[in-house]
Order: sequence, then structure tokens, then C-alpha cells
Amino acid sequence: MRAGLEALAFLLPAYGLFLLFMILPVGEALWLSLHQEDLFGRGREWAGLANYGEALARPEFWKSVGLTLKFALITAPLELLLGLVAALLVYRPYPGVALFRTLFFLTTAVPTAVAAVAWGWFLHPVGGYANRVLGALGLPPMPWLTSPELALPTLAVITAWAGVGFTAILLTAGLQNIPEEVLEAATVDGAGPWTRFWRITLPLLSPTLFLTGLLVLLKSLTAFGQIHLLTRGGPAESSMVWIYRVYQDAFFNFRVPLAAAEAFLLFLVLLALAGLQFWLLGRRVHYAA
Amino acid sequence: MRRRLQGLALTYLLAGGLSFLLVLPLLTLVSASLRTEADLYTPGLLPPNPTLAPYVEAFSQFPLGRFLLNSLVVSTAITLGVLATSLLAAYALTRLRFRGRELLFGLAVALLLVPGEVTFLPLYLLVDRLGWLDSYLALVVPFLASPLGVFLLRQFLRTIPEDYFDAARMDGANHWQMLWHVALPLSAPALGALAAVTFLGAWNMYLWPLVVTKSRELQTAQIAVNYMLNEEVARWNVVAAGAILVLLPTLVAFLLAQRAFVRGIALGGLKG
Repeated sequence: MRAGLEALAFLLPAYGLFLLFMILPVGEALWLSLHQEDLFGRGREWAGLANYGEALARPEFWKSVGLTLKFALITAPLELLLGLVAALLVYRPYPGVALFRTLFFLTTAVPTAVAAVAWGWFLHPVGGYANRVLGALGLPPMPWLTSPELALPTLAVITAWAGVGFTAILLTAGLQNIPEEVLEAATVDGAGPWTRFWRITLPLLSPTLFLTGLLVLLKSLTAFGQIHLLTRGGPAESSMVWIYRVYQDAFFNFRVPLAAAEAFLLFLVLLALAGLQFWLLGRRVHYAA
Repeated sequence: MRRRLQGLALTYLLAGGLSFLLVLPLLTLVSASLRTEADLYTPGLLPPNPTLAPYVEAFSQFPLGRFLLNSLVVSTAITLGVLATSLLAAYALTRLRFRGRELLFGLAVALLLVPGEVTFLPLYLLVDRLGWLDSYLALVVPFLASPLGVFLLRQFLRTIPEDYFDAARMDGANHWQMLWHVALPLSAPALGALAAVTFLGAWNMYLWPLVVTKSRELQTAQIAVNYMLNEEVARWNVVAAGAILVLLPTLVAFLLAQRAFVRGIALGGLKG
């Protein structure tokens, strides 16, 4: 009994906060999405699945889902590829490797808002380097963030850039966990660098690669700051991704229950992906033991 | 030997190229922040007439000091809170025996999966009901406990050999003393890693401070960047200087404690 009380004192701060600020809000998100505001915006009336029905019937909602998917499908592979190249270049020691590690991992320390400003200037129609380089090559300047076709892919590239440090760190750790003996044995057997990479390194890295990929996917599905700073979901709603739609509907259109339904649907998608990640992680831990 | 040198030369070439591409947007930002308005659109990476005027202007036009202080206070409070609540809970989950222990640990693991970005709406309504909107409380209190922190520290505490605690117990130490004198000092590496990622995460928060703060005096540095970007659209040198000032604290922290950051991110990769 005494031990129980003592444990309670140790556990209460963390678990009390979890209950209040993590568990209850998830429950409330669900509750809210099942209710409708009355005419005066005061009390709420039971609405069943009406909000979900409305969200799913809106073309704008599906447009946002599609944009989110497109955004994630550009961000995740690009970020993973850049991170893998960076990791392959720094996972083994050589003179000067510490400098390259610092430079590759650096973007993790760059706040989203700063990344957005840096790219906003980099892609500036007049002063930006991107268009200067195009000009030097004799190509016309590109409306990177101001055209409905280019804005979303451009934001995806910016997001991938901002995430390279994160992926590079995870993949470097993954590469360093591959036993050196396996690679040495392959070298003795006459395998060249390419064969070693495709036949040994990549297969042994694939669990880490897959998990990192899932993480990057999860992050990209909730990217908000860079979009808010650089395009405000535009132009012409061409970068109005799912999470931005929730924000817009809740804080500008004042449709809180509808936004809650949209948020809960996103929550289910993220939860499914996180569950998959978790199951894989459990399996990997199991194999390693 | 020659092959090895060739390989090394190729590595330098590729690593140098990739570094340049990754750092280039930041370099052009630094370059813009050191230019006068007249030089802003002059080609070249180096500013023709380097000046610190944009920094002076950023400070005089915007309460940048206040914004940075807000971010510093909020991030430090969150970091200390997470370290304290996580260590307490992790200690109980490893060192104390009580019913439901595994269940509670399982709960922390399950909470790792809850994406915070999606609960911001009900969390906003909760904070509103508590009367905390537009206050430091809203920026800090909801984030004082972290499932990742509980998870990481619990895994770490399990690796501390029983002997350390036995020795303390022989000296008549209670759990509180063992936490303070044994678990805390021995977990320094894990606490450092957790502190690094927590601070970084708190400093980077964007959506939450955007919706819960209204008054200028409470805004964090991230939101200040948004404000400067909108107010000073045409004057990129001032915006760039402001952004560099917002970058400096995390950049310096990263350069000083790179090991802790890298370890924290590698360990916390589970959560991301």
C-alpha cells in the first residue's frame, strides 16, 4: 500500500499531464466531431456522423487529401534519398568527416520559420539565387511559390531539405550498426564497392530505411509552418494540405465541429501509419534479441 | 593505396558538393542580412559593402529581444519540466513495485503514437476553457510531460546495475534519495540527449504558439518571423537579419552539443 502511494507520487506529474493534455483532447476531438453548434454558437447538439458526412462530401476536402498525398510522395522519397547519400558519405571515419557530419546534420537545428525565410529569399523572383542560376543557363525564371502548379512541389522540396539532417542522423546510426565483418568477408570474396552496397549494405539497412521512411512520411503529412509562412495555402488553394484545411476551417471559417471531423480523419490515418511503424519496430527488436 | 586515395578524393568531392547545396540557402540568407537595401539585388554570394545595419534595424523596428526571450523562457521551462516529470515517472516504472506497472508503461508507449499536430484543436478549446489563452501557461503547461521522455529514461534506467542502488539502500537511502543521488547522476547522458531534442522541439513549435498567442509581448521567435515577413515584405535584408537572430540560439546549441543532439534524435527516432 505504501509502495503504491509512493509510486503514485512519482507517476502523477507525468501521467496527470498525459491524461489532461493528451488523452482527454483525443476524446474531445471525437466528441466534438460528433456534435453540431446550435444557432447561437453556444451549446452543442448531437449530430451523429453528419460532420464526417459533410467533410467527405466536400470536393475541397478531397482536394486537400490529394494535395497532402502529393506533398508526402515528393517529400518522403527525396528526403530519404538525400539523407541516405549524406549518411553513406559520413558513416565511416576519414579525415574531415566531423566537418561533413556537422554540415549534413545541421538542418535539424534550423527552425521551420528560418528555413522558410531562407528559401523564400533563395527563390525570390528578383534577388533569388535559384532564378539567377536559371538565368545564367539561359532559362526563363520560374514562379516557384507563386504558381498553382509549382507551389506545392516547391514546398515539398523545402520540407525535404529541412528534414535531411534528421534522416541523415537516423541512417548514419543504421549504417554504423551493420557489422564490419560482413563487409570485410565480402571484400575478401572479391566483391566490389557496388556489389557490396547493393548486396549487403542496402539489404541490411532496409529495416532502418523503411522505418525512417515511415517517420518522414508521418512528419510530411502534418507539415504546416513552412506552408503557412510561404504560401498561406495558396495560390488558389494549391497548397491547402489536410492539416492546413483543419486550421482554416477552425480558425477562419469558424466551423469547429467540421474541422474536428477532418482532424479526426487525419488522426486515424496517422495512427494507422504509426501503428505500422510500431509493429515493425517490435518485430525488429524481436529479431535482434 | 592509390585506389584508396581515389576513393577519398571522390568522397570529398561528393560530400563537399552536397554540403554546399545544403548550406547554400542559409548562406544566401546570411549574405542578404549583411547588405544595404541598395545592394540587396546585386549578384554574388558576398555582400559588396558588408553592413550590420539590417541587424540594428531588425532590433529597433521589432521587439526581437522580447521574442527571443519568450522563446528562451518557454523552451527552457518545457525542457526542465520534461526532464523532471520523465525522470520521476521512469524511476517509478523501473525501481518501484506496484500493480499496473507494465500497463502504465504500455500507456506511455501507446501515447508515443499520438500525433500532437492533430489534437491541437481540442487542446485549444481546453486551454480556452482554462482561461489560459494568450498566456505563458498555454505555451508551456501542456508540454511539460513527454511520452518519449518517459520511454527513453525508463529504457536507460533499466541498464543501471542493481549494485548501485543496493549500495545506497544499505546506507539507508529512500527512493527519493536514490533518485536524486544515484539515478539522476548516472542518467546524465540520457538526460542530455532528451534535453537537446526537447529544447529543439519546443523552440521550433509553430502551429501551437500561432493559435494560442495574440498579444505581441507573448509571441515566440518563430511567430515573430511570420510577423516580420508580413510587415517587411519588400525589405528582405531586415527580415533575413531577424531570421538569422532566431536561428543563432539553436545553431549555437547544436554546434556546442552536437553529440547530445545526434544521440537524442537517433534514440527518439521512434517518435520523430
